[in-house]
Formats: sequence, structure tokens, C-alpha cells
Amino acid sequence: MNFDRRNFFKTVCVAGATLAVGNSFGAVKPDKNTIEFQGVLYDSTRCLGCLACERVCAKAHELPEPKDELKAGVIRKTSEKQRSVINNYVTSKGEVFVKKQCMHCNEPACAAACLTQAMYKTKEGPVVWRGNKCMGCRFCMVSCPFDVPKFEYHSANPKIEKCDMCYDRIKAGKIPACAEACPGDALTFGTRRELIAEARKRIFENPKDYVNEIWGEQVAGGTGWLYLSSAPFNEVGFNTKLQNSSYPELSKGFLYTVPSVFVLLPPLLLGIHEATKNRNHSNDEENE
Amino acid sequence: MDGFTYHNIFETKGIEYLAIIAFFAILIPFWIVLNRQVRMTKQLQKRLGILTANMLKIPQGIFFSKNHMWTHLDSKGIAKVGADDLLMHLTGKVKFSKLRKPGEIVQKEDLLAVINHNEKQLKIVSPISGEIISANQILQENPEILNDDPYQKGWMYKIKPSRWIAETSTCYIAEEATGWSVKELERFKDFLATSVERYTPDPSNIILQDGGELIDHTLSELPDEVWQDFQHSFLGTKPKYPHFRGLEKSGYEPEYF
Amino acid sequence: MNKQAQTIAKDNDGGSIFKFILSELKPKGRILTPFNIIAIPIILLGIVLIVIRFVNGIGSITNLSQDTPWGLWIGFDVVTGVAFAGGAYVLTFMVYILKMEKYRSIVRVTVLNGFLAYLFYAGALLLDLGRPWNVVNPIIGNSFGTSSVLFLVAWHFLLYMIAELIEFSPAIAEWLGTRRARKVLAGLTMGAVIFGITLSTLHQSGLGALFLMAKDKIHPLWYSEFIPIMFLVSSVFAGLSMVIFEGSISHKVFFNQISEKNHKAQSGILQGLAKICAGAMFAYFFLQLLVFIHSKNWDLLNTPMGYWFLFEMIGFVLVPMLLYLYSYRTRNIFLIRLAAILTMLGIILNRLNISVIGFKWDAPVHYYPSWMEIVVTLTVIFTEILIFRWIINRMPVLRDSPAWVEEEH
Repeated sequence: MNFDRRNFFKTVCVAGATLAVGNSFGAVKPDKNTIEFQGVLYDSTRCLGCLACERVCAKAHELPEPKDELKAGVIRKTSEKQRSVINNYVTSKGEVFVKKQCMHCNEPACAAACLTQAMYKTKEGPVVWRGNKCMGCRFCMVSCPFDVPKFEYHSANPKIEKCDMCYDRIKAGKIPACAEACPGDALTFGTRRELIAEARKRIFENPKDYVNEIWGEQVAGGTGWLYLSSAPFNEVGFNTKLQNSSYPELSKGFLYTVPSVFVLLPPLLLGIHEATKNRNHSNDEENE
Repeated sequence: MDGFTYHNIFETKGIEYLAIIAFFAILIPFWIVLNRQVRMTKQLQKRLGILTANMLKIPQGIFFSKNHMWTHLDSKGIAKVGADDLLMHLTGKVKFSKLRKPGEIVQKEDLLAVINHNEKQLKIVSPISGEIISANQILQENPEILNDDPYQKGWMYKIKPSRWIAETSTCYIAEEATGWSVKELERFKDFLATSVERYTPDPSNIILQDGGELIDHTLSELPDEVWQDFQHSFLGTKPKYPHFRGLEKSGYEPEYF
Repeated sequence: MNKQAQTIAKDNDGGSIFKFILSELKPKGRILTPFNIIAIPIILLGIVLIVIRFVNGIGSITNLSQDTPWGLWIGFDVVTGVAFAGGAYVLTFMVYILKMEKYRSIVRVTVLNGFLAYLFYAGALLLDLGRPWNVVNPIIGNSFGTSSVLFLVAWHFLLYMIAELIEFSPAIAEWLGTRRARKVLAGLTMGAVIFGITLSTLHQSGLGALFLMAKDKIHPLWYSEFIPIMFLVSSVFAGLSMVIFEGSISHKVFFNQISEKNHKAQSGILQGLAKICAGAMFAYFFLQLLVFIHSKNWDLLNTPMGYWFLFEMIGFVLVPMLLYLYSYRTRNIFLIRLAAILTMLGIILNRLNISVIGFKWDAPVHYYPSWMEIVVTLTVIFTEILIFRWIINRMPVLRDSPAWVEEEH
């Protein structure tokens, strides 16, 4: 089923992509050897609110099954026991179901922040947490603009819980559990390039159903999880004030200056030391 | 940064930090080598006996008069006088003969003593006026103290000054003294250039090292005429000592006390 | 404190080092001093809480949440504590590089304070980590997260502690009577000082750079891309104010160790430090003004957080700056000390505003530290003071070095 879908995409999207993407990106063609980011496209208009994705996710990651029910307007959050959550938002366009989990940013703040590389951006796209390296400093939590990583505050050996796009399943050739389980086809797995093309296609074909924006195309420098919504994104729990450039860029200025300071400051100090040496030592030096 | 493939803006940071560690590792020996050069040159200079300004001892807080005498007032109001380090470096090892007794009154630039190297003499005049309190006895037996420690053990006379402030106002002190010494060495080189031509057959290897630097104890191998020239032209001393003035020309030699 | 009862310690001279250290481990003087009476119960309680923390997880004794992962331990113990330890790098710069001999008598105690501060605040950091045993990972290479500002800060802490230990080690060598070791260590001082100043510059600003990625979470009046520079400049007067504060206390407590000459020099030193602080705070205030103009946050001033911002800037930067200026001009030692305390409160306020109070200031539930977090913080501080006192009472830090040390300066 998946392969048919993918082949179908490839034929349709090459045409659509060349139109939509070709102009802006010029003649950049992906090298056959370069691994491209993969991601998931979530279409809220297709979501039934059945919570199958939540149950499958909990099962696949040995977490307790969520027991509470969806209620309109009541916001549920991800936690150290739940990696993915569906909420029922009351918006100007009626009730909209939206799934929330890690956005798998192109340039993740958490991976840039992690001093042990426990938070790691894989070449295939998913951002994973590698527990053997983590020291529990929670700097990733401070840096993530989406507040995604959740910490086990009540464990003696705490871990960080967040969606990892079922990375081990992807490596084994399968697709994420939620994408596989979704009965309404709300979740589509593919390369980011293909998904953006598909999303654009859907907006183009049904402009009345969608807000004319793919959330995740540009926010935080682009994310691996993309969203289509019928209601404006700030009404469905997204912070639209986030910047469109990546968050690690914010600390780039400081980190790029560090080597220069390291190289320039010691000679400067040595120079001042030499220059002031004779002030008190002119008598001592002749006696040497 | 196309948004579809892996791109790390901090890719080179690891190598940069390693380069910084290498930088520090190289900086330490680099700095040591840079400094060692300088220190070695100084030691070389001393060993070869080259006389340069930064070899001179110039203690702060002591007054220097134009004829290279120093004076220092102690807490009890008694001044010590002596010859400065530059003068002693120029003359080399000398014998000291004092000419004054305690109780005598001297004026500024009066003759106090004579130092001599074999037949060559240099008159020592007083930088201040006052009453002679005592003379330094150890200089009779151990005149080399004048070269080794001209400012402390090598004091020549203790004088009770009568016009301290007025007379020391024309003296050099502290940083001025340092700058003045440097200039005096240059002036001495010029003096030598003219004086020595007249009196020595082959001046260059007696006075100057390669590079035009003076050798230490410059005057010691030079003839008496250069010493006299040094006294009159360079130091500018015309000592005022009424009794001896006439005797100078007749080559009178004072007795050793 | 009973001044007469404390005898001045003697250094080891030629005796066996092992026996000497054993004899020095015994407590000197009274056990039941006022400080001990307050500190020891708190330390014991703190140890109990720390055990609970390791058994049941951080959440069992703190109020940290998924929205506010950093609280008092990071915001106060680590970030503010390191700012106060900045006196060490400023003072070593002044004495060893600029050759301001006037301050040489307080360099050793300041370096000791800096070393102990970093040691204990690194310890407090270990308590805050979820998996402290993995703290060796960024050091041994599992893996080197070179893209992280925290990686830089962590390494700098380690290297700086080593540099400060080298700077302080001549005192230990003098105490143990090892003359050759002292000579070798004294030769390393200049290198350690230069290394230490470079490291300090980078990690004081680095602590500020930690918050750069949290752009949307910190209140705009405190967040700017200039946070690292502000942290660096404020660490100068934070450190010096701590030197004034701690120096005033040590001077009274360890009165009979300090030589006559150093007693007389005390007020001159305080005045000099006050002058430097006034200058640094003047620059810092205008830096803040510049950044404020640059961010165009004028309308934010008329909000509760705006008033809080003005309270911090005017009440705890401008006022102590003027107080330092006035007390320097009038040679008023009491006012200098008052200005130091105000400045230190201002630094605590500033660091907490950025890391805790201004962090997610618009969240529905605000973070505040639990009493247990406060007790653990006090445990760390009191233990540090106890170690400090132990060292001062034995090693030649405040008192003069043993006679065999030739003054090479």
C-alpha cells in the first residue's frame, strides 16, 4: 500500500514539483547519493479524532495507554508518559482536531543545545534522543521553541520523552506507527520535498478547505513535520510569533566569536604584561 | 541550506577547538623562545664587557649632579656623597685618595678627593656645600667597592649640607636620571670620537666593540691626556680649591691620607 | 568569634607532609560558634534532602516542571554564583597584568574564593543534573556536542578550576613546606593567569549565551542578542562587590591573622575597588540603555514587568553606582560596603530575571522554588564557607607567607 502511494506521488509530484519548486530553487537537483530528509504531513481536515495514533504510539514505545477522552476546548499536553497528543480546538471554522508532537526541525535547537549529542538530528530527518549519552541537564527543554522534550522528574534514572518519528522502524524500512495506523489518511510519510509538493497540491486543488500555508515549511528554519489546517494556525495551538529562521542561528554569533577571542586575548594580555613589566622592575632587571 | 538535506552550521567547531588547543601548545614555547633571545643578549653583553645604558644602576630617590656625583640625605639630616655608577664604569678600577678632613667646610664643586688608575687621575668634586662629617675609611683598603656598590657601601663623604634644597634643585632624580644617563653615554661616545683621535694610535679596538658599543671600563686603557680631556671637556670640572690651584699645573700629587 | 582564642597557624617546615596534614585535620578553636550552630543543622538536613533527590528523582524536592526546567539551582547557584566568582579574574588581571601592586595582598584570598565557588557551584550543578554520572560524557567524547554553548561552558569550568588551582597552589606548597614545588608552581602563575582570564571572559559571557535560543520564552525587556556582553560586563562589578563584601567579613573574623601593613591598606583597597565598580556600572548602565533603545521596547515599560525592569535598573544598578561614586569621593567605608550589598542584590535580581522570573513570565502557573531547593542551596553555600574557613585558618592566605619565601616582586 505504501509503495503504490509513493510511486503515485513520484509521478505526479515531479510534474507539480517542477512547477512549484523548480523556479525558486533553480537547477538544484538532489544527488542520488545524498540522503534527503524524511517527514510526515499531517492533514487536520482528514483527522477523525479517533486517537488510534495515540494508542499505537504508546504501544510501540512501552508507554501507558492514554485513558482520557477528547473534549472540545480542553487542551491535553504531551508529557513524559505521552509522546503525541490530539486536541480538539474550537476555532472560527468549527471544531478542528490537531495532533501535536516533536516537529523534527531541519536545524533543531535541542540538537544544537545538547552538549553530549544525546539529542541528535539524523541524516534521514528524525531527531532522536540517545539515552546512553544524556546527562539530564534539560538544556534541550530550555532551547526548544515548541517546548517538546519532556523530562521524567520522578525517576532516579530520568529520561527525556519525545516523538522520534519511530526512527528504528524507518531504519528497518517501515513507516512511523502513527502514519501506518491512521484510518483517515491524515498522516503521510515521505521525503520532505515530496510532502511539501503534495501539501501545495492539496491547497491548490481545494483552496476553500485549507488555510493557504503549510505550517512547518518555514517556521524555525523548516521542520520535518508539516501541517495543513482548515483554521488559522494560531487558533489551533500553534505559536505564530515564532521566527522563520532556525534557532541555533541565534547562538551562532557567540559561538563563532569564541575561537577569535581564544586566539587574540592571550597575546594581548602577554603584550600588556611586557609593557608594564618595566614599571616596577627597572631596578631588578640590572641585578640579574 | 536547502531544507531537504542535513546541514550543520557548527560543523567545523570541533576542529576549531582542536586548533585552539594546538595554538596554546605552540604559544608557550614560542613565548619562551622570544624572551630567551633578549635575556641572552643581555648576559652576553655583560660577559663581553659591553657598556650599555640598561646595565647602569640608577636607584630612585638619589640626586645626581652634572659631574656625575650623587648625594642622598638621610633621616638625620646628614648627606652622603659619592661618584655615580656611570663614572665608575667609565674609569674602571681605581684607587681612592681623600683630601678632606672632618670639620672642613666645602662649597659646591670644591675638590673632595682624587681617584686614579696608575698615573691617570680624576678629580672628584662635591655636589653640595656643607661641613665634612666623616670620610669612608674602607675605600682606602678596598677601593673596588666604588665599582661594585657606588651608592651604598661606596659612599665617599658624609656632609652636613648648608644649602640642600637650593643646590639639589639643579640635580637629576629618578626617571630624569635614567634618561640623563642614556644621553650622557651618547655624549661620551661623541667625546671619545674627538678626543681619542688626537691621543691614541689605534683607537677602535680599545674603545668600541663590533656594532659601535662601548667596552666597559672604557677609560682605563686610554692615556692621561684623554683623562684630562675627560675632566675638563666632558665633566666640566674646574675644581675650586684655593690651595691647590697653583699646584695643579706643576703636577703636585696629594698625599695619601 | 573569640579573637584572642585563635592562634596563628604555623606552616610545615621540613616535617613529614603526611603527619602534618593529619594533625591539621583536627578542628581548631571553638566548635559551637554562632555560624556553626546555624550552618550544621542545615547542612545535615540538606544531606538528607539530597539523598531523597537521588532516590526519588529531582521532582521530589523541587518545583521544576516541563515548562520551567531550570529553577533556583541553575538560576542562582550556577549562574549567579559564577558571576560573583568573577572577582578572581578581574583581580588577577589587575595585579599580574596591570601590575597594580596595591591589590596584591588580596589576590590570594580572592583566587581561593573563586576556586571554591566554581568547585561548589559545579557540585550544585551535579545535583541538578538528571543523570550526574553521565557528566563525564562531554569530557571523554561521548560525544562532543561542539555546537552547544553549554559544552563550551562545561569545558571552561573544568579548565578554569585547574587554572585557579595552579594559581592558588603556591599557598598550599608554602603550607606544606615544599620549597621546590612552590618554585615550580610560582613559575606557572603567569600562564595560569592569562589562561584563566581568557577562559573567564568566554564563560562569563557564555552563561549569558545559554539563553540566546530561548528568544520567545524570556521577556523582551531582558532578552536581546547582547545578553553575553551584559553578563560579561556585569560580572566585573559583581565579582568586585563580592570581594568587598567578603573581604569586609574576613577582615573582622580573621582579624589577628592579617599583618599590620595589610590592616592599614584595607581602606585604600576598598576605595580603589569602589572606583572600579562605579566605572564598570556606569558603562553597564549605558549599555543596557543602548540595547533598550535598539529593541524599541518603549511601550513595554508601562506594564508590570516593565516596572520590575525599571526597579532593577534604577534601584539596583543606577543607585549603587551613584553610591559607589559618592562613597569613593567621601572616603566613606560604610557606604562602600552598602553599595556592594546593593550591587550584589542587583546581580542576583538580574540573573534570576533572565533565567527564572522572566523565563516564561506569561505562563499560567509561575515557578517559585520549594523550601527544599532553598535548603539544598544553603547547604552548598554553608559547606563552601566551612571549607573556606578551614583553609584560611591553616594556610598562608590572609596571613603572611613563611620566611623562606623570597619576595620576587
